[in-house]
Amino acid sequence: MDGLLDGCLALCLPLLAYLVLRTESLSQAVVLFVAFGLLSALGWARLEAPDIALVEAAVGTGLTGALLMHTLSWTEETPPDVRARARRRPWALLAMAALTLLLGWAVLALPADSPGLGLEVDARREDSGVKHPVTAVLLNFRGYDTLLEIAVLLVAALGARAVNPRSERASSEAAKDPLTGELFRMMTPALLLVAGYLVWVGDHGPGGAFQAGAILAGGGVVAILTSRMGTPRMSSLRVRWALLTGPLLFIGVAVAPLFSGGRLLEFPEKYAGTLIFIVEMALTVTIAMVLLMFFPGTRPPRTGRGSAR
Amino acid sequence: MTSVAALMAWPVILPLLGAVLALLVGRPGVRLVAGVASVATLMASSRLAWEVAHQGVLRQSIGGWGAPLGIEWRADGLAALMLLTIALVGPLISVHALDHLGDREDREFLPLWLFVWCALNALVLSDDAFNLYVTLELTTLAAVALIAVRRDLPGLDAGLRYLLFALPGSLCYLLGIALLYGAHATLDVGTLAQRVQPGPVTWVAAGLVTVGLCLKTPLFPLHVWLPPTYTGAPTPVTALLSALISKGSFYVLLRLWLEVFAPVLDARVGQLLGVLGAVAVLWGSFLALSQTQLKRVVAYSSVAQIGYLFLVFPMATSGARAGAIYLVVSHAAAKASMFVAVGNIHQAVGITALGGVQGLAYRMPFTFLAMALGGISLIGIPPSGGFIAKWLLLNESIGTRQWWWALVLLAGSLLAAAYVFRILRGSFLPLPAEVKVRSIPLRNELAPLALALIALVLGLVPWFPLELLAIGASR
Repeated sequence: MDGLLDGCLALCLPLLAYLVLRTESLSQAVVLFVAFGLLSALGWARLEAPDIALVEAAVGTGLTGALLMHTLSWTEETPPDVRARARRRPWALLAMAALTLLLGWAVLALPADSPGLGLEVDARREDSGVKHPVTAVLLNFRGYDTLLEIAVLLVAALGARAVNPRSERASSEAAKDPLTGELFRMMTPALLLVAGYLVWVGDHGPGGAFQAGAILAGGGVVAILTSRMGTPRMSSLRVRWALLTGPLLFIGVAVAPLFSGGRLLEFPEKYAGTLIFIVEMALTVTIAMVLLMFFPGTRPPRTGRGSAR
Repeated sequence: MTSVAALMAWPVILPLLGAVLALLVGRPGVRLVAGVASVATLMASSRLAWEVAHQGVLRQSIGGWGAPLGIEWRADGLAALMLLTIALVGPLISVHALDHLGDREDREFLPLWLFVWCALNALVLSDDAFNLYVTLELTTLAAVALIAVRRDLPGLDAGLRYLLFALPGSLCYLLGIALLYGAHATLDVGTLAQRVQPGPVTWVAAGLVTVGLCLKTPLFPLHVWLPPTYTGAPTPVTALLSALISKGSFYVLLRLWLEVFAPVLDARVGQLLGVLGAVAVLWGSFLALSQTQLKRVVAYSSVAQIGYLFLVFPMATSGARAGAIYLVVSHAAAKASMFVAVGNIHQAVGITALGGVQGLAYRMPFTFLAMALGGISLIGIPPSGGFIAKWLLLNESIGTRQWWWALVLLAGSLLAAAYVFRILRGSFLPLPAEVKVRSIPLRNELAPLALALIALVLGLVPWFPLELLAIGASR
């Protein structure tokens, strides 16, 4: 039974990826891409990587899909130059086939039963302050990577400002729509609860700041798209505090041991769990803010042009 | 606070903290915060370099976990020299950016530059293959945001172009590292060096890592994104890209290649990289000579100068390594000086064509002095850092009986002389009457001169950098 499911996934994933590239309509490509993302989340779950599956579903598929759909509403309906793409395709296909063959050759030569660093992680997990191995790696053993990744997120938010059009909070139809209003009212408390739960559960199971931040951002995206909220802007002091409290706290926790003769990010064993929880809470807000800053509001209605998709 | 842990942490943490605080204070205090952070980082980097020069190689395991579980830092002479280069060249470029960019761009440039500084310092110190990927990613994304900082169409186009080439480069690198981790269950560069064996995994991983990093640096024929990106980006950002950011990916390639891959690969692969580098030198110089836009001349010159760096791979001796690194450092100073000078010229006369320099040497003496000194280093005339670098490479090419690289070095120098003199010659012609020259702040005239003087001093006192480089040259 499991073999059948895995076989289906292994067949469907490349097929969907091919269809995403092949389809001539952008909106179809987006829908297919979302389907591809959901199936690959399933694939990660089958590979016993629930943390990656969660992130893939929430960020890779949910938010990215929403962002792509939203982008479609901003673009004009000029059909892509399909013929030009078709001419380039054989070369791209050949290059990809060659890369796949090379990778396959290398992967088949890999040791089949290597546990990676899993044994080392398990051996030291007791000292990390948390019980879930993924959280122990992300926030403690390799917390320095995560510190730099938070900087990557901030930079991405700064870069998004350059391309995001300045949209006013146009009073769109969606804002007055009673259905979305009711949906939003029902959804918000549930989202907050799920996000809080995900941070808390990261201590001993799949979850953590990234997943929780993505869930929070999901609620925010609905608020932005229905004009209940504007896109967070760096010009607002409140937005800057919400964005930067997490990184500041993380840097503070990281350098504190230096002042007492310790090393960077060397958490005292007794408080490690608490410190990680506080940092993750603050980072959840940061991550949600960063993801929200990618979303411009609804497009102001234009006159004399074809309506948005 | 003089523990090794603190010594190695501050060059990474101070610019990061500075960037976050600069974002937080916003409009009024961003220059003050960035200035304080820059001075503090410069001091922290110099302090670390000083300790490396006196104590030898420093190591530190972050969080105290130790490899393979945690991430290790390693500061040898090469890392110390890179820290110093970044700390001297970067702030001089950002000083120039203050007046070159507008007020809003200025507020956004400074935090982004501090992020780049943090990323490059972290990259230089890292001894962990995945952590290197994170630092490369931070550098790339900050560079994209910097290129698009003006939010105009050329900038956005250049930024997107850079992103579309640099991101596959990162992914290739990551794929290669994933293969190595799968085979050897470690990300520590030193441990990987001991464990790699010739075989499909190592070959494919080395290929992916090399292609990915060559795409980012970039090496011919993957350089197609460079001229339009360098031309479309604001000039101070182009200076950062050419002087420092492109050197980050080369640094990673140099370390991984010399320490991990070279012993288990066929020598012919090194020859191939050398051939591509040689083609880059000749083709890039030739194209630089045939450009009509001033900025494109300097941009194509970067393609050629990056080509020289790859001559280290076929020779693979400690002398060639020293030569390549010496070129990294002197090219950082010289090319930054030339781009900043180009920015001054654009600001003064608003003409981007090569003919626009006509007669400007009389009105902007410092800018053209900087241009000439920078050019001397690019050509490799003594006394300059470029001369020392090319001399070392020349020596090694004779010493390893690979005389053909010497021909490439000489031909590249002749071509460089031609395109540099083409700029300088125009500047001494009489100033056309109809050209209005706007005066630019003295600070902006002195910034390129200071950068060019660094390249000059590198040629006058080569023993300090060379002695520093020898520290920890082999594990």
